[in-house]
Amino acid sequence: MSNQGKKTKTLSRRSFIKTGVAVTGGLMLGNQLGIGPVHWSARAQDYPALGNFPVGDKVVFGFNVPQTGAYSDEGADELRAYELAVEHLNNGGGMLATLMPSSLTGAGILGKEVTFVTGDTQTNPDAARDSARRMIERDGVIMFSGGSSSATAVAQQYLAQEAKVIFMDCLTHSNDTTGKDRQRYGFRHFFNAYMSGQALGPILAERYGTDRRAFHLTADYTWGHTQYESMKQFTEAQGWATEDNIMTPLTTTDFSQYLTPVLNSDADVLVLNHYGGNMINSLTQAVQFGMREREVNGKTMEVVVPLYSRLMAQGAGDNIEGILGTSNWDYKLSDEGSQAFVTSFEAKYGFPPSQAGHTAYVQTLLYADAVERAGTFYPPEVIRALEDYTVSGVGPGAVEYRGCDHQAFHDILVVEGKAPSARDSEYDLLETVKQVPRAEIGYECDFFPGELGPYGDES
Amino acid sequence: MSFSQFALQLLTGLQIGAIYVLVALGLTLIFGTLGVANFAHGALYMIGAYFGLVVSSQLGWGWAALLVPLGLFGVGILFDRGLLQFFYKRPVTDQILVTFGLAIIIQELARTIFGGTTKPFPAPQWARIPVDIGFGYYPPWRLVIIAVTIIVVILLFILLRYTKFGLMVRAGMRDPEMVRYLGIDATRLFTIVVGLGAMFAGVAGIMGGPAYSIEPGSGMAMLVPSFLVVVIGGMGSLVGAVIAGLLMGLAVSFSVIFVPAVSQVIIYLVAVIVLIVRPRGLFGVEGIG
Repeated sequence: MSNQGKKTKTLSRRSFIKTGVAVTGGLMLGNQLGIGPVHWSARAQDYPALGNFPVGDKVVFGFNVPQTGAYSDEGADELRAYELAVEHLNNGGGMLATLMPSSLTGAGILGKEVTFVTGDTQTNPDAARDSARRMIERDGVIMFSGGSSSATAVAQQYLAQEAKVIFMDCLTHSNDTTGKDRQRYGFRHFFNAYMSGQALGPILAERYGTDRRAFHLTADYTWGHTQYESMKQFTEAQGWATEDNIMTPLTTTDFSQYLTPVLNSDADVLVLNHYGGNMINSLTQAVQFGMREREVNGKTMEVVVPLYSRLMAQGAGDNIEGILGTSNWDYKLSDEGSQAFVTSFEAKYGFPPSQAGHTAYVQTLLYADAVERAGTFYPPEVIRALEDYTVSGVGPGAVEYRGCDHQAFHDILVVEGKAPSARDSEYDLLETVKQVPRAEIGYECDFFPGELGPYGDES
Repeated sequence: MSFSQFALQLLTGLQIGAIYVLVALGLTLIFGTLGVANFAHGALYMIGAYFGLVVSSQLGWGWAALLVPLGLFGVGILFDRGLLQFFYKRPVTDQILVTFGLAIIIQELARTIFGGTTKPFPAPQWARIPVDIGFGYYPPWRLVIIAVTIIVVILLFILLRYTKFGLMVRAGMRDPEMVRYLGIDATRLFTIVVGLGAMFAGVAGIMGGPAYSIEPGSGMAMLVPSFLVVVIGGMGSLVGAVIAGLLMGLAVSFSVIFVPAVSQVIIYLVAVIVLIVRPRGLFGVEGIG
């Protein structure tokens, strides 16, 4: 210790300059050899430094999912799908055989082996940002992806834009994600609340008639708000009236105090704009309060859950029977792409994937394909390759990534909870009522005001 | 506001408060006797709920009603002998850290065993269909929660007021040192108190489970309002816990109708107001808390 202390003390200005020159020279040499710091790698020499760049023969993805908290099961399924996607990118298999057109080789991306790091968002925007920042700064990820929760997705999109590292959104359904909070560095494959309203509105009118009064309970954050607005718009377009709406805090577990006002209203439809644990509790408790047997204005009361997921349906148990909602994807879809994914997922894990898993998998592949097509990992070029690009073989019909807002458009599903007697397994909980073609769920680019922001390479 | 709306909201408030009371009773009993702030109490609630789910689905509700309180009493004994007894004399910060740490371990164990997703916990068949109570339909299970809480509170008061054991506990709550000098086995007494506290948390768990569903975070979600109930009622005061629990439940229920914006923070607002006016809580004794 004392020797070291002496050495420090005797470090002269001359030796400091010598050391500085040596280090700088070493870095410049490293740059020439392609072994220098992130941006200086040989392949990136054509581009100015921006975001991250892979070093050596590996490229790192960051998968930032809820590993703790109410959405942790969903996060676990997303991780399984991400891992499978990486496996297929490196060794072939799954949707690599169905993606059309495809530039993927099954031997990594641009010859580099894909590896990944994981993080825990805790379903909390601040925790998600911290975790993503660690991935970007410490692990040097070239792309990061994850969900669930629109609040965490939006937070990560802003970080992506700031750090110039592409973020492939996983499960986020708020209109804001590709609406007012859209970012050049964020891409969403999952559908949104507006599309749910478009798809569900006509089916609700067909089933329950046009003379209905809806009472909404809404999760009080970005997704809930846009979900309520969209459902209100599309049910009122069918002739329904909106009786009332109560915003419920995301942390609510007991909804009884919100359900009693419904019992005292004239509403004959209860719309639960809730997701995950919120939806499981609110639906279960709505059933406990007799909402499904209730007669109002000579009509049987109906419950609607606009955004469904199989993992939620598992939590809600038998209460889901006959309840309508929408879904991005279902493991029973018969198209080639879906089945290729389901088969390989089941072979690896022993059970079918969820819609969250599907989006996680597809997003990873679409990013990789864009890099191959761009011929570089340089983010602005990859973004341009993804924008206004149409692909098929990753689910029913084609998927178009719109350049103006980075929202993917594809067929979505209106689903209904199955009766226990109609299920063929513990995963078989949702029946597809209608596969809604993407042509029926479009909207103009400027419908939701928002700016994507710069690519980062503009002169 | 119509009478039926008021009555239903009142009933809902009482039911929400009833669960708070069940959890807070155990918390305040342990604090009042041992002087230990048990941050693992929410975890005991969660164990009760999961245990109730497993037993009711395998053996039926009759067994669940019997085994869950007994099982949690046993868990409480183990908890005291295995961990808590070593922290009786340690600073409050140590007690909080160790019990909170234990709560996190139990929570993550539950996640490993049962998964992170909310589990459906069906109430008994007879308690599932809402009944007409004159001013509206109400879920019978929630009426059962109110009834069970009333019974538990009455039994606890009888136990503490009219039995020798109760006399010793009350003496222990007032002056544990003197209890030892009088030749009473305070160690055994304290262990039984922790067992009882855990048992109440277990009863709250099996009651609250079917009403709210269960997930590994259920215990933590229950811990904060229950602690506030204990603080508002006065640390160590059983009457205070009952009154404050019901007050909190009613505040939560009616705030949704009158001022929805504050419904999420109403319990904190009530806590702030009560503590400004009465820093020791509603029924707090000088020198405690």
